Amino acid sequence: MNDIAQQLAMMSRRELLKTASVGFGYLAFAGLSTQAAAREAGPLAARAPHFAPRAKRVIFLCMQGGPSHVDTFDYKPKLQANDGKEASSTTFGGTGRARYGKLLGPQAKFRQRGESGLWISDLFPEVAKHADDLCLLRGMHTDVPAHSQAFLQMHTGTSRFVRPSLGSWALYGLGTENANLPGFISLNPPSGQGGAQNYGSAFLPAVYQGTPIRGRGMQGAGAAPTSQVPNIANPQLSELAQRRQLDFIQELNQSKRAQEEHLANSQVDGVISSYELAFRMQDTVPEVMNLAGETSATQAAYGLENRETATFGRQCLLARRFLEAGVRFVEVCQTGWDQHRNLKDGLAKQSGAVDQPIAALLADLKQRDLLKDTLVIWGGEFGRTPVAQGADGRGHNNLGYTMWMAGGGVRSGLSYGETDEYGREAIDGRVHIHDLHATILHLLGFDHKQLTYRYAGRDFRLTDVHGNVVKDILV
Amino acid sequence: MQKFHYPLAIILGLFCLLESAMAAEPSPAKPPQDAARIRQFDRNQDRQLSFEEFEEFASRIPRLKGRPEAVAFLFELHDADGSGQLDRKELQELRSSAQQSASPAGRSRSFGPDTSVRRNPLRLTIPKNKKQGKTNQQKPKSTKQKAKQPTIKAAEVEAERMSQAEQPPVKLTEQQLAFFESKIRPVLADRCYGCHSSEAKQLRAGLMLDSRDAILLGGSSGPAVVVSSEDGVVHGDAEASPLIQALRGDYYDQMPPSGKLSSQTIADFERWVAMGAPDPREGEPVPVEETPESTIDIEAGKQHWAFQLPEGVKPPSVADKSWPSTDIDRFLLAKMEVAGLKPVGDASRGALLRRVSFDLTGLPPSVEEIEAFLSDPDSTPIAFEKVVDRLLDSPAFGERWGRHWLDVARYGESSGREANIFYPFAWRYRDYVIDAFNADKPFDEFLREQIAGDLLPASNNTEKAEQTIATGFLALGAKSHSERDPRQYVLDVADEQLDAVSRGMLGLTVACARCHDHKFDPIPQTDYYALAGILASTETLSGGVRGRQVRQANGLVELPESVEAATGEPLSPKEIDQLYDQLDNLDQAIQRVGNGPDARRMRIGIEMRQANVRQKISYYHEDGSPRDFAMGVRDGDVLDIPLFVRGELKRPSDVVPRGFLQVLQQSSDPEISTGSGRRELAEWIASERNPLTARVMANRVWLHLFGRGLVTTPDNFGATGEPPSHPELLDHLAIEFVESGWSVKELVRQIVLSRAYQLDSTMSFEGHEIDPDNEFVWRHPARRLEAEAIRDAILSASGTIDLQRPVGSFVAKIGDGQVRALDNAAVQRAKQLQRAKAMARRTGNNRMQRNRNAMFPVPEAEPTPTYRAVYLPIIRDRLDESLAAFDFPDPSLVAGQRETTTVPSQSLFLMNSELVIEQAVAMAERLAEVSSSTSERIDLAFQWTLSRSPRADESRAARTFLKEFSRIDQDKQGNKNKQGNQTSAWSAFCQSLFATAEFREIP
Repeated sequence: MNDIAQQLAMMSRRELLKTASVGFGYLAFAGLSTQAAAREAGPLAARAPHFAPRAKRVIFLCMQGGPSHVDTFDYKPKLQANDGKEASSTTFGGTGRARYGKLLGPQAKFRQRGESGLWISDLFPEVAKHADDLCLLRGMHTDVPAHSQAFLQMHTGTSRFVRPSLGSWALYGLGTENANLPGFISLNPPSGQGGAQNYGSAFLPAVYQGTPIRGRGMQGAGAAPTSQVPNIANPQLSELAQRRQLDFIQELNQSKRAQEEHLANSQVDGVISSYELAFRMQDTVPEVMNLAGETSATQAAYGLENRETATFGRQCLLARRFLEAGVRFVEVCQTGWDQHRNLKDGLAKQSGAVDQPIAALLADLKQRDLLKDTLVIWGGEFGRTPVAQGADGRGHNNLGYTMWMAGGGVRSGLSYGETDEYGREAIDGRVHIHDLHATILHLLGFDHKQLTYRYAGRDFRLTDVHGNVVKDILV
Repeated sequence: MQKFHYPLAIILGLFCLLESAMAAEPSPAKPPQDAARIRQFDRNQDRQLSFEEFEEFASRIPRLKGRPEAVAFLFELHDADGSGQLDRKELQELRSSAQQSASPAGRSRSFGPDTSVRRNPLRLTIPKNKKQGKTNQQKPKSTKQKAKQPTIKAAEVEAERMSQAEQPPVKLTEQQLAFFESKIRPVLADRCYGCHSSEAKQLRAGLMLDSRDAILLGGSSGPAVVVSSEDGVVHGDAEASPLIQALRGDYYDQMPPSGKLSSQTIADFERWVAMGAPDPREGEPVPVEETPESTIDIEAGKQHWAFQLPEGVKPPSVADKSWPSTDIDRFLLAKMEVAGLKPVGDASRGALLRRVSFDLTGLPPSVEEIEAFLSDPDSTPIAFEKVVDRLLDSPAFGERWGRHWLDVARYGESSGREANIFYPFAWRYRDYVIDAFNADKPFDEFLREQIAGDLLPASNNTEKAEQTIATGFLALGAKSHSERDPRQYVLDVADEQLDAVSRGMLGLTVACARCHDHKFDPIPQTDYYALAGILASTETLSGGVRGRQVRQANGLVELPESVEAATGEPLSPKEIDQLYDQLDNLDQAIQRVGNGPDARRMRIGIEMRQANVRQKISYYHEDGSPRDFAMGVRDGDVLDIPLFVRGELKRPSDVVPRGFLQVLQQSSDPEISTGSGRRELAEWIASERNPLTARVMANRVWLHLFGRGLVTTPDNFGATGEPPSHPELLDHLAIEFVESGWSVKELVRQIVLSRAYQLDSTMSFEGHEIDPDNEFVWRHPARRLEAEAIRDAILSASGTIDLQRPVGSFVAKIGDGQVRALDNAAVQRAKQLQRAKAMARRTGNNRMQRNRNAMFPVPEAEPTPTYRAVYLPIIRDRLDESLAAFDFPDPSLVAGQRETTTVPSQSLFLMNSELVIEQAVAMAERLAEVSSSTSERIDLAFQWTLSRSPRADESRAARTFLKEFSRIDQDKQGNKNKQGNQTSAWSAFCQSLFATAEFREIP
C-alpha cells in the first residue's frame, strides 16, 4: 500500500476516534463514505492496529451444536476406566448427593501425536497429523448450556443484548485488504441459533456486517464451480451500462442523504456501500469462487471428491481462497454436533465430514506460507458431559470443553488448560469466551480494552468489562 | 353421475376388509400383483369387471360373504362413470385405495372423522411399580412456599390407567399360556429382544416386543399385531399384522435380519396372532426416579412485573399541554419531559400517508389516494382519521397483520428438520389467520380457537370448519417425521407446541423447563410436564405419507361439508389423467428395477412416489373437486404424563397431573375435568385474568407500528427479557385492548391516531445525545420494509400485482413428498430433456420425454406469481429468494421481531434478479402506456415507487440518466441493444427506483 493511502487510512481512523468521543460515531463514517475518494479508502481501508499484529486474518471453523471434547481433544483415561459407573457429586470432587447418571467412556481411542505428543482421538486422524501446529485450549468454559445463547455468546460475547460479532469487530479494527470483497464472510451460517446476529454489526456501521454466502451450490460433490452466489451477474447489462445505472441509484441515495443533512440515517449509508460492494463483487466473487483453477490434487486433498467431505471441503477451500484474496475474517460453519443421542455414529459422521478438509486447509496454508499470520480457530459453543444421556448420547456442558487454535502467533504443539479428570469442569488454565475474544483481538494487534465504539453515550467493546489475554499461549 | 357420501369411517372400514381379504389369498399379497389377481376374475377378458364378475371376486373374500350391501356399495363407489363396469382406471383406484390401507405407507392413521383413538405411546413410560415416592411431599409448609405441583403417585395412577386402557383385559387359558411359553417367548427372547426390548442397546424402529402393551403399541409402523375383540372374544389378524409380515419378509425388511425363521415357527406366530396374541407379560416395571427437588420460590417469583395484572393508571399530567392528542401521547410525553427530551415535529402528509399505508396494509398508496389526502381540505387529524378507517377496512389489512401473526405462529408449509416433507394443507391456516384479522375476530377468541377450536361449540358447519382449521396452529410446527420412537415423537411435538403457545401467546420461555427447572423464571419442571401432558393427550394431525424417512405420519382432519370459506383448487380432467399416468409409469418403472446393487433403494424410492401420488388422488373426489382436508388436532388418549428427569425418555419420574403455570395460578383458573385439558388451557390463556396475554399482544402491535416494542423482547416477558420502557403505557394499552372486546383493529387505530405515531422521522441532535435508541419515542424512526412489502411494492409499481387471493398454495399443488424432490425433479427433468432431445434427433420420436416427465409428480415452478407475497409458499429451508433476501424469519421458530440487515446480497437481488428486471420492464411499459411525456413519466414513476414527486435535482438526474444510458446501453457482447433503447433505458430507470434506499423505507 502506498503512503498516501496509508495516511488516508490513518486519518480516517483518527477522524473516527475524534468524532466517536463526542457521540454520533457513525456520522463520521457517513461523511467519509459519501466522498468519492473515501469510497475506496473509507471505513473499510486497511489500517494499522494498536501494536504489531501476529495474525492478519482469521478463519473460524465453527462447529455448531457442541462437539464432544472428551471424545476428541480432551484425553480422560479415568473416564475410560470408569465407563458405566454412576457419577455423583463426589465423583467430581464436590459434596452433596446429586446424581448425574452413568459415566460414558470416550467413543474413540486416544493416541499421542507428533513430536509434541498431544493426545488426540482417532476421530480426527488427519488433523492429528498436524498436532505440532495446534494449540489446544482444554480449559474453555462459557456461561450458558443452551445452544442459541452459547452460540451467540461465542460470536458476540453476550446473548442478552444485540452486539457486534467478533468478525465485525475485527473488520472494524483492521479494515479490509480487498475492497472488492466483503471483509467478513460467513459461509453457510445457520439460520437459527441467533441467525444473522452471529455475523451482525449491531451498533457498528452496517459496512462491518458479515456477508453470508449460502446456497445449494455450496454443497455436495458435483456442485458447479461458480455461481454460488445468487444473482452475481446481470443477464443483460454490460458493466458500463450497469455502472451508469448504479451511479444514478447512488445519486438518488445521496440526494436523500442531503435532505437529512447532518442527521443522516446510517441505513442510507449502509445501502450506498452495499451497492458499491455488490457491484465490485460481481467481478471478484465468481473469480474467487471458481475452483476450476485449483489442481485436482488440491481438490482431492480437501475431499471434494467424496460425498462425506465434499461440502465442508469446498467451504474450506473457498475460505482459503477468500483469505488469500484479502478477506479479513472468514467463518465456516458445520452444524450437527449435538449428539444427545446416537453419539458414536453421529460423532463419526461429523468428524468424518470435517477431519480431512481441515487437515488439508492447515497443510495448504502452511505450504503457501499463510499459516504464520493466519489465525485458525476450531470449536463449538460448548462441550459435552462425561456422563451419558440415554445409552448413547451426551448432554450439554458449558463448564469445560476444548477449542483449538493454530497459526497466527499462537504457540504450537501446546496443550493449555485442563478439565477435571472426567472432563466435566475446567479447573486449570481456564479460558472463558471473553478471554478467548481478548486473546484473538490481541493476536490481531489490539488491546481489547481499547478497541471500543461509542454508542448511546458509552464506549462498548467486544469483551464488555471482562476478558484477560491468555499470555501463556502466545509465541 | 351419482356421488356417494357415505361416512368416511364406513368406507375405510370396508377398505380394511377388502385389504385383509385380498391379503388372505393364498399367495403373499405384494401390491403389484393385486391387479393381476383381480383380473383373474375378468371372465370375458374385456379388462373390465362387471358387477357379476366383481361379486365373484368378492365372494372369495370371507368377510364380504353374506354382506351384499357392502359389495354393492364398493362396486358403485368405484364405478365412477356409472358404466356398470369397473374399467382399468377404476380398478386401479380400487386397488390403490385398498393398498393404501394395506401398505405400510397407507396404514398410517387414516383421514377424516375417524374417531378411534390411538393409544398414547407415553402409556408405556408410566411407572407401574407400586414403590412409594419420597415422603417429603408431606413436609410441613415452610414459610417460603416451595414449588410443589402435587404429583400423583404411581399406585394411584395404575387404577386410572386401567380404566382408560382401551384394550380389553385378557384372561389367558392354560392352553394359550402354554403355547406362548413354549412356542413364542423363547423365539422372541432369543431372536428379537436384542433390538426390540427395553434392554436393547439400540432400540430399532421404536418397537419393543417384551410386553403385551409394547406389542400392541408397536413402533414406527404402528401396532405390531392387529387385534380386535368381538363379543368378548379376542382374535387377531395375522395377515394384517406387521409382525407377521416382517417375519415373512413382506413389505418390511426380513426379520430377524440374521436369517428367516423356519416356516413352522412363522406358522406358530401366525396362529398366536390369530388367537389374539395372548401374552402374560406385563412388562418390566419401569424404575421411577425421584423428581428432582425444586428450589424455585413461586411466591417470590410472582413479584416479577409481568406476572401481576395490568393496573389502570390515569395518564400523567404533562407540562406541554398542547402537544398530546391522546392518552398515549401523555404517557410518552411525561417520560420525555423528565428526560429532558422534546418530540420532533409532525410528519408531512405525504410521509404520513406512505407510512400508514404500508403499516396497515403492506402496500404503497395509489396516486389517487395520495392526491385525495394531500388535497383534503379537512384538517390533518380529520383527514387522517378517514384514511385510517379506509385502510382498516381494506382486505389488505388482514394480509399485512395476519402475516405478523404468522411470524409468531412459525407458519410453514413443510415439516423442516431432516425429512422436510410438504404440508399441502397448511395454507388453510394461513387463510384463516388473514380472515380473522380482516373480520377483527376478538383476539381472545382467536387464541382460543387456535388452541382448542375443535372442542368449542359451533353454530354451523362453516364455523366448525373455521375452528378446526385454527388448530392448525398446533399442527404445523417444524417436526422430526423421521423419529423412530413414537414416544419421543409425542414428547418432541408437545415440546414444540408448548414453545409456540408459551412464547407466542404468553411471552414466556416455558420450554426451557423441559430438562430442569427454568434457570431464570419461576417455572419448575413439574409445570412443564403439567402443560406438556395436555398436549401429549392431544393427537396432532399433520398428514404425511409413511415411508423410508417418514416414520411418523398422522393423518389429517376432514372438514365438515358445505364450507364456503376454505375450498381448495380442483383438478382438471387432464391433471387427473396425469396422476394415473404417473402411477402407470411408476408401476412400469418398478418392473424395470431388476436386481442391481441399487435395486432396493430404487424400489423404495419409487414406492414412496407411488404412495405420494395415491395420497394425492385421495385428496380429490372422482370428479376432481377437492376434498376439504386440514391440518389440526383432536383429543387423543388422555393421559397425565410423568416428569422425565433431564428430559430423558428413559428416566420417568412421578406422574404430574395436567395443569397450568403455578406462578400465574389464580382461584378463577378453569379446572381440567374431561378431555385433554386443551379447552381449559385456551380459557386460561385467552383471559383478561391472565396478566401476560393482552400485554404481549399490545406490545406486538406497538412493535409493528414503531419498529420497537415497549418491551424490546416481544417473545420473552420473563426475567431475561427486558422490562418495559413505559410500563404504565403498556398496561393502559392492554386494559383498553381487553375493554374494546380484544379488538386488534381498535388497538391499531388508537395507536396510529396518536400524535406520537404521526411524528416526523428526522433526527435531532439533542434527542440523539440523550436517547440514541429512541426508547422515549421522541421521533418516529424510519424503518426498513419487510420482504413481503418490498416485493408487493415492486409489483404494485409495475402494475402487475393481483390483489385477489390465490386458491390454496403452490405446495398444495405439489401434494405430499419431501422438499428434496424439488431439487431432484429439476435435475431429473433437465437430464430427461437432454436424453429425449438426443433420442428425438435419432428417432424423430419424443414420446419418451412425455412419459418420463410424468414420473415425477412435481409441477413445474410457477411463472412469477403476481399475487401478494403473503401467499408465496413458505417451504422450510427453501424460502423464496425475494423473501430470504430481506430477512424473512426462520419459519421454524417463533419470531415476534424480524431482523433488519443491509447486505450486498440484497443489492445483487435488486440489480440482477429475474424478478426485479422483469418487473422493471413491466413498469416501463406501463409508463409508456400512460404517457409519452418524459417529465410526466418521471413524475409518475416517482409517485408509483416513492409516493411523491421528484425533487428538482432528482428530475435532472433522471433526465441525464435516460439520455446517457441510451447512448451506452449495449449487451455484454458489445452489441447495441436493438429493441428500442428507449424501453431499455426506461426499464433501467424504473429498476433504479426499486433499488433506492428510499424505496425500501417506511418514512
